[in-house]
Amino acid sequence: MRVVVERVGKTYHDRRGRDVVALHQVDFAVETREFVALLGPSGCGKSTLLGIIAGLLPPSSGRVYFEGEPRPGRAPVTATVFQEFALFPWRTVRANVEFGLEELGVSGSERVERTRRYLDMTGLAGFEGKYPHQLSGGMRQRVGIARALAVEPAVLLLDEPFSALDAQTRTLMMDELLGIWERTRQTILYVTHNIQEAVFMADRVIVLSRRPGEVLDAVPIKLPRPRREGQQGDPVFVQTADRIWGLIKSQAQAALLDDQTVTERDG
Amino acid sequence: MSLIRLRGLALLALAIAAGLLVAPVTGAQPKPTGVKVGVLKLTSSAPIFVGVEKGFFKEFGVEPELVYFQAAAPIATALAAGQLDVGATGLTAALYNIVLGGEKLWIVADKGREWPGYPLVAIVVQKEAWDGGLRSIKDLKGKRIGVTQLGSTFHYHIGNILEKEGLHLSDVKIVPLQAMPATVEALKGKQVDAILVPQPFPGAAEAQGFGKILAWAGDLYPWQIATVFYSDKLAVDRARAVAFMKGYVKASRYYFDAALVQKDGHAAHGANYDEVVEITAKYTGARPEIIKLGFPFQDRNGRLLVPDIERQMSWWAANGFMKKTLPLTAVVDTSFVEEAVRGLDR
Amino acid sequence: MAVERLVVADRTAFLRRPDYRAVRVLALLGLVVLWELLTRTGWVSPLFLPAPSGVLAEGLDMARSGQLLVHLARSLERLAWGFGVGAVAGVGVGVAVGFFALADAVVQPVIAATFPIPKIALLPLLILWLGIGEASKVAVVALGVFFPMAINTYAGVRQADPLLIRAAVSFGAGSWSVIRKVVLPSALPMVFAGLKLAAGTALLLLVAAEQIAADAGIGFLILQSGNLMETTRLMVGIVVLSLLGVASYWAIGALERSVIRWRHT
Repeated sequence: MRVVVERVGKTYHDRRGRDVVALHQVDFAVETREFVALLGPSGCGKSTLLGIIAGLLPPSSGRVYFEGEPRPGRAPVTATVFQEFALFPWRTVRANVEFGLEELGVSGSERVERTRRYLDMTGLAGFEGKYPHQLSGGMRQRVGIARALAVEPAVLLLDEPFSALDAQTRTLMMDELLGIWERTRQTILYVTHNIQEAVFMADRVIVLSRRPGEVLDAVPIKLPRPRREGQQGDPVFVQTADRIWGLIKSQAQAALLDDQTVTERDG
Repeated sequence: MSLIRLRGLALLALAIAAGLLVAPVTGAQPKPTGVKVGVLKLTSSAPIFVGVEKGFFKEFGVEPELVYFQAAAPIATALAAGQLDVGATGLTAALYNIVLGGEKLWIVADKGREWPGYPLVAIVVQKEAWDGGLRSIKDLKGKRIGVTQLGSTFHYHIGNILEKEGLHLSDVKIVPLQAMPATVEALKGKQVDAILVPQPFPGAAEAQGFGKILAWAGDLYPWQIATVFYSDKLAVDRARAVAFMKGYVKASRYYFDAALVQKDGHAAHGANYDEVVEITAKYTGARPEIIKLGFPFQDRNGRLLVPDIERQMSWWAANGFMKKTLPLTAVVDTSFVEEAVRGLDR
Repeated sequence: MAVERLVVADRTAFLRRPDYRAVRVLALLGLVVLWELLTRTGWVSPLFLPAPSGVLAEGLDMARSGQLLVHLARSLERLAWGFGVGAVAGVGVGVAVGFFALADAVVQPVIAATFPIPKIALLPLLILWLGIGEASKVAVVALGVFFPMAINTYAGVRQADPLLIRAAVSFGAGSWSVIRKVVLPSALPMVFAGLKLAAGTALLLLVAAEQIAADAGIGFLILQSGNLMETTRLMVGIVVLSLLGVASYWAIGALERSVIRWRHT
């Protein structure tokens, strides 16, 4: 399924009644089975955009729609993996993964089978009975990923999924995600602020400006798949990363000095 | 929490504190001639009121100070705790248990007997229950009967009345309401089917239309219901104790001659009848017409019906309200009355 | 040139809190011994302060005769009903008010107005409405349990992590699912805190209620012993009451530990 973001805008009214434009005329599409990274400096509205695509927020203008083959009965269009994991602490690993299946009404042997499959795929075999507080950060995000995969969405949305992890774990997890994607091949929209990460993972990087978030450029990544660790040294990699940095460096500097007191309410 | 409960607990706490601090009650002591008397605002306290109003106690060098309570047992407790010198009220299981528990006090004079023909306590039935057919003691079976406290004179009385009719305490539901006004309110509010209360409440209940007097309890079962009792401290102060008793006996005779004399089964009121009614009305706050319904009986000289006290203890013990009985000599002392009578008649 | 050497000193020694386990036990024992001595030597009248030995003897006596069990059973029955009704109602209202803005607007002012009323003061009114039987007793306990439960549940619901609610919604959960699967489990720690609060109040109210027109129960036992000036039995009643309080607190804690097997991350 392809995702079409059509001139989406989002405006908030802050506490003092001022209008804050988070997104302005954001327009792009993600093709079926494409892995697209959404990158920008902090405060550029990329998480807001993801929320709109996930149906968790309404846009103030424009629309988002999905195009593709009609889906069989109970498959949802999107599923989200969250930066802070958002696991339910009172549920075991298995129960967390089952959550989406419960809401879809998938039960019985199908639920058991799917849960087991995605637990295995994300390296969680043997941890089914553990509670989130007993797991490391990396393991918790594996659960988050398994939970999203279990509902077999057409589009997988990941909101800075590895930002909360340390650098080493992050590297391992990125590798793993790519490995899983090779097998499941959903359309993926991957939000990040890390250029290295974006270039390593994606087919295309859509660069957003800081607030009000606008599309600055869509940079194709001409690196062969499957992506390997060593590719960070590849000249194509370095050039692409530099190019993107050039786009957003001044943005990032300005974002540093941004007023953080804006609290958002629906506009 | 009702006032009486609060008072009782406060007194108990005070007593404990006093005990722990060793020192006997100091500073709160009455004047050397002063005597603190615990009473209830009832017709049956008339002799005390008469004695105070007419200065009979003062005559013998004693200054009485009246302290009012809402039920009889707390008076005994206050006495034991050193807050009172004299109690003039009903005999309750609590009083006997206090002596059993190691605190001495002395029953010294008559202050009211349940006696046929002399209204004191009545069994008052809820008007609607009465209309519905509750007319005899036997009809009380299975009903809710309100009293002030467990172990009160009312408890004793209804227990014995029931036994006379072949019933038992367990055939009714005794509802303790802690204070006399609350007992009356419970009847009004139909929380109970019948109550036992002393004058002037029964008269008031009939006058106000929410109760009917089923019987005067004294007609059904006579006994030594109320007495004057002394704290050990007062008893040891012989001079003051006898002086108070002289005043009391004088008041008792005045009261008897005015209100209790009967000729051929009818009341033959003395010259001071109206005065006694007035005094009683003043101190109890009840209307004279209600008070005129009747005054309770007591011995003219205030002499006790001593054997009845032994009977009371046996009954309490048999029904589980006392662990065992006391020898009479441990709780009764008739010497004060005798000495007072001798002194007055000299 | 001389070289100075400074050994690192422990600066926080004075801040450490040793457990003093032995002292705890000994202190309590010492108090009981002192109490016993005070009454043995006659320093304090046994009527006003019954000796621990006497209280123990009386207690065992009452246990053997079955009396204690009767009183305890009646009190526990009323407690169970009152707690059940009050807790269910309290949690229900707390969830509704916490989750639905309309319910919040309607109910919050009512709770704010009625919560400060001491429930003991309502007892006479309840007796007027419900009579002197079991209903008024259970009702007053239920009222006393309702408020801490409603208020604590409300707080628990409000502090439910919005991220978790978003996550649940992102997987297709509607209001009912969100309440059942996110808000309620999230609120459990606060709910248990409310139970502990309510336990103390419930006991207090039970004893007060049992002092008005009951014929059995720990409160009634205390009342009767007080009326009869049987102070040793009175102390037995008080001790049993205290043990009941300790037991309920412990029981709630044990229940909490078995239900809440996770830690909020």
